[in-house]
Amino acid sequence: MSTDVLEQATGLNFELSEEQQLIRDSIRDFVERHVKPGVKERDASKEFPHDLVKKLAEQGFMGMVHPEKYGGGGVGHVSFCLAIEEIARWDASLALTVASHTSLGSGHIALAANESQKEKYLTPLAKGEKLGAWCLTEPGSGSDASGMKTTAIKKGDKYILNGTKIFITQGSVGDIYVVLAKTDPDKGTKGISAFIVEGDWDGVESGGKMEKLGMNSSDTTEVIFEDVEVPEENLLGELGRGFVDTMKVLDGGRIGIGALSVGIARGALEESLKYSGERKQFGSPIGDFQAIETKIANMATEVDAARMLVHRAAWLKDQGKPFTKEVSMAKLFASELAVRAADEAVQIHGGYGYIKEYHVERFMRDAKLMTIGEGTSEVQRMIIGRELKKEYWG
Amino acid sequence: MKFYVCIKQVPDVDAPIQIKEGNLIQDTDRMVLNAYDASAVEEALVLTEEHGGEVEVVLVGPEKAKETIRKALAMGADKATHITTDNDVDYDSAVYAKVLATFFEDKEYDVISCGKQSQDTDAGLAGSMLAQHLDLPYATNAVGLSMEEDKLVVKRQGDAGQEIIGLPQPCLVTCSNDMNEPRIPSLKGIMQSKRKPMETIALSDMNLDEAALSAKTKVTGYMEKPEREPGQKFEGEPDELAQKVATLLDEEENVI
Repeated sequence: MSTDVLEQATGLNFELSEEQQLIRDSIRDFVERHVKPGVKERDASKEFPHDLVKKLAEQGFMGMVHPEKYGGGGVGHVSFCLAIEEIARWDASLALTVASHTSLGSGHIALAANESQKEKYLTPLAKGEKLGAWCLTEPGSGSDASGMKTTAIKKGDKYILNGTKIFITQGSVGDIYVVLAKTDPDKGTKGISAFIVEGDWDGVESGGKMEKLGMNSSDTTEVIFEDVEVPEENLLGELGRGFVDTMKVLDGGRIGIGALSVGIARGALEESLKYSGERKQFGSPIGDFQAIETKIANMATEVDAARMLVHRAAWLKDQGKPFTKEVSMAKLFASELAVRAADEAVQIHGGYGYIKEYHVERFMRDAKLMTIGEGTSEVQRMIIGRELKKEYWG
Repeated sequence: MKFYVCIKQVPDVDAPIQIKEGNLIQDTDRMVLNAYDASAVEEALVLTEEHGGEVEVVLVGPEKAKETIRKALAMGADKATHITTDNDVDYDSAVYAKVLATFFEDKEYDVISCGKQSQDTDAGLAGSMLAQHLDLPYATNAVGLSMEEDKLVVKRQGDAGQEIIGLPQPCLVTCSNDMNEPRIPSLKGIMQSKRKPMETIALSDMNLDEAALSAKTKVTGYMEKPEREPGQKFEGEPDELAQKVATLLDEEENVI
């Protein structure tokens, strides 16, 4: 919910504001008109849909949550979730592009940048004129960022950046990278800092496109930094505070992954509802058989539950309240549901579910990333456990 | 150029409709801007973007219909007037036309437009009736609009083909949804729509007498579309079949 509505609301309120409904309906119309057609072809060709990203930018959907002052939409994270869910309902790859661009690359800049950095970098990112990529993961380090090998060593008024990042969304199509690197390798996580790096600088190179299980039309590559000279004014946030900011960026990113998961699960549900009404066996629609009805009832219940968890986390963020535990719960539940729901949808579709003529096999392949990206399910449980112990054990 | 577009909130045609004991059960949560009116808004925006001017939307409907006005404003209309009605009153085309005619009595405008019909009743009468009340030259079922000097040039779909009609202003035109693809509100448009002027007039304050507000038509009931009966299938030699079908058409169906 947008904050202006929430300030007026007393107690619980499950109703979307007029503005949120308009945002949801507009993005839904956009998806029906521009995204749904051609989604299977994009999955097959694995090409990055520059034209769709441009259209989304024209509609203002590439920087929804960033301040209007920097060309963003100035809306809250619940609205962002509504948009991501609608896109992911048909095209999870595109939703991943929007979510990662908004929450990670641009998100870190919005969180930690100074005024001139925001003007220079956040503005074109929030307007969607440029694409952002966030470079944290390395071949040897994921959620345990302290194991990172990339270094940024101060030399005069520059930092010299060296290292290899992996699984970088927008790795080859990105224009502006936020890179995490060790500025003081002896200090563990306290020696990690963030830098803004432009894609066309000398020494910045994308590795080849990675062949993936799903999310085919989102761009995932290695990014290699070799003696890249980063001007010191491109240090993002305080020196040695990169890890602390990274944890906050990841919390924010999990909202998007949660909403994306809800979108995939809803797609699985809606396609199953449609198919089980059309497909007849033994003289009746298979949706009339209790075995199928049960699957669909479970899916629908869990989609609602997941959406509420995700919206609560988004709402907490908009209120400026702590949401680390809640967003991990939302991401955990929604992502595991996406996998479960897509699996059930394929099962309900039977043989047709296994072929590419129907959408559900794509949902199944796309869904799996949800339990891995922005921290695996195991890491989410670790975070939830840690937060619970903080609350109860002190 | 001052453009007024009359818009209406209608049930989403994609939402399932139920009929119980002759009454229509509608999901009141799923209400949308009438698609024909959306085309009228789009065309007004295109024309004023090209020739300058202002687009104001007018809606007669209950409080909930404000969301539909917001959509038109988010698309780009400059301002709006909401003539508010009670929730549970059903008006027919004649009442809508009379209410709108009263609203327009003291207004200045170059063009009034609206959808050629609304998706709920498909009556297609309000536009023509409004033009009659206001004594305006008008054209219906427009599939294209353009401006030529002081004339509104309307391309309309007639029974025999497309006609081009030049209307002196002020005038009224009703729009087909074939004329354009209405724009989807951008996030910026949605945010700006909050700050655009919206005037609210209670229908009860418009001094309309009871006769004006009474529907001239009455819907006596709703029923499901009857299911089509399955056809008959014949097998045999062509000569035999032709004879059999001809006999059936002649003797049972009486069509020959």
